[in-house]
Amino acid sequence: MQLKTRQLALCAILTALALGLSVMENLFPVTAAIPLPGVKLGLANIVTLFALYELGAAPALTILVARCLLGSLFAGNASALLFSLMGGVLAMLVMIALKRWQKLSVFGVSIGGAAAHNIGQIGAAVITLGDTAVLGYLPILLGVSLITGTLTGFITALLVRAMQNLHLSHS
Amino acid sequence: MQSSSPKLRPTAWDSLIVLAVIVLAIGTAIVFYGGLGGGDHITVTITHRGETVEKVMLEALNEEKTVTIDGTYQLTVVLSRDGVWVSESNCPSQDCLHTGTVSRAGQSIVCLPEQVVIRLDGKSDGPDIILG
Amino acid sequence: MKRTLSLLLCVLLTLSLAGCAPKEETLQIFAMDTVMDMLAVGSEAREALSASAQEINRLEALLSRTRESSEVSAINSGKTVTVSDETAELLQRAVQYAALTGGTFDITVEPLVSAWGIHTESPKVLSADEIAALLPLVGSGHLHMDGRTVTLDEGCSIDLGAIAKGYASDRVAQIFRDYGVEGGWVSLGGNVYAHGTKSDGKPWSVAIRDPQNTAGAAALVGLSNQFAVTSGGYQRYFTAEDGTVYQHIIDPSTGAPAISDLLSVTVICGNGTMADAYSTALYVMGLEGAKAFWQQHSADFDMVLITQDNILYYTPGLQGKLTVDEGGAYDAKLLS
Repeated sequence: MQLKTRQLALCAILTALALGLSVMENLFPVTAAIPLPGVKLGLANIVTLFALYELGAAPALTILVARCLLGSLFAGNASALLFSLMGGVLAMLVMIALKRWQKLSVFGVSIGGAAAHNIGQIGAAVITLGDTAVLGYLPILLGVSLITGTLTGFITALLVRAMQNLHLSHS
Repeated sequence: MQSSSPKLRPTAWDSLIVLAVIVLAIGTAIVFYGGLGGGDHITVTITHRGETVEKVMLEALNEEKTVTIDGTYQLTVVLSRDGVWVSESNCPSQDCLHTGTVSRAGQSIVCLPEQVVIRLDGKSDGPDIILG
Repeated sequence: MKRTLSLLLCVLLTLSLAGCAPKEETLQIFAMDTVMDMLAVGSEAREALSASAQEINRLEALLSRTRESSEVSAINSGKTVTVSDETAELLQRAVQYAALTGGTFDITVEPLVSAWGIHTESPKVLSADEIAALLPLVGSGHLHMDGRTVTLDEGCSIDLGAIAKGYASDRVAQIFRDYGVEGGWVSLGGNVYAHGTKSDGKPWSVAIRDPQNTAGAAALVGLSNQFAVTSGGYQRYFTAEDGTVYQHIIDPSTGAPAISDLLSVTVICGNGTMADAYSTALYVMGLEGAKAFWQQHSADFDMVLITQDNILYYTPGLQGKLTVDEGGAYDAKLLS
């Protein structure tokens, strides 16, 4: 796939933005409310979702993987990579699938993605700990994903609308 | 590469996703917490790096019991009839301390850096009666 | 899609309704010097539990050694007394168990139990002379019975503490049956009776306490309509000034706290009184004695022996019912 210079630049900016958001997220750990280590709200999903709508599936996935790899380098531990990759990739795949189903708005796609993100993270926790006890957090996290998903969808909708006026990615 | 015009306003179909997530949440809650009963008989299992280090029936405790876990980081777990909590830990995330006291079946305390899982199991797999 | 969803909702609704099981009642009382817990499921569960509590209180009034008005106190006064049919029958069974177990279980060991002060706040170590002076008072021969007329030789005394709770559990089992209790259990300080099954049809899961880590379980055993009694030195003991640990079960043959290679003995069978008597006797007998006794009476009971070498022996009747944690504190071995 050949990227236009403008798209390439956008990819880079978005990766940096996603990275910034996930670092920022570390400053406000959800774990005070949901004491499950490694679990993130998924603010960086805004970027993933935006990239999916603006650039398409393949660039969005690239941005996501780049963000996860760089993010774990910053955090400096491998289990963080597993958490963000499993959460991120699962969310990505679900969002791609949901978006293909033309009936949903960005909100539906976003909520589905947020739920998948949390399921992926719990999956990572089960793998890391070799213990299913953490599955007990899933119902709560799924509930939380309704809120974060709606929020992410709202912000993405605003961004996409703004981009339509800018015509940055359209030729 | 792009879909014609992305839908930016919520549609009726979105509520299906919301409903699906809610059903999934309730479903997993039932599967996980459903068989746990009233939680009178709680067995606490502490695992450290996959190995069980302690198994305690809460109602059989006559006084507080302290379990120390020593690895890269050190954790102190306190067990009592009223519940279980981590009283001290020098792990970086401190999530286990933030968890506070857990006392109901199905709850757990997790320390990811030291790979410690403290889980509370209820009736379904624990004993109903303690003898002796 | 919508149909599937509404179907799912219906299923969830049904599941939540299924949660309304028949009424479960619990009761905790303090009697016979111990905390007693009971649970019953059934339409008359509450009535069954209060009848059981009344029955236990009645038995305590009848059989307690420390209550002056009890029949046991009357016997211990040394006079010839006429007791109730119930007490007479229980005494006869106690004598019978003493004979069967070679005197390792004996209700006439009471003078020594009192002298050691095991059940008091200030236990003390007896000298060999003190023991020698009291030992002749021990033995069923000192108890003379003619129907309901009972006479005890001078200086002797009896204590039914080692079978009273077992007998009480037998009575509670009868009450549970009379009231049509579907499932339940009673736990009378080391004496358990499991009635029927849990609401899911599975047997009640009884944890045999780990003698060395008393908040843990050495094994789990599934019981239905059976009695289980555990005796072990860990349940009550005192440490003398020289650091020696004396546990609470007096060996009637030596007059001193039993020195057993067993940490605990659990007897499981269909009779609470027998389970109570045998668990004490087998603990006193020690591993070899307990094995030999079981081989002679294997049709009557099952048992779990936990030894000081961290081996847990169990009898074939418990196969499939008993679970021991693999890699746990004890190696499970099947007796045959």
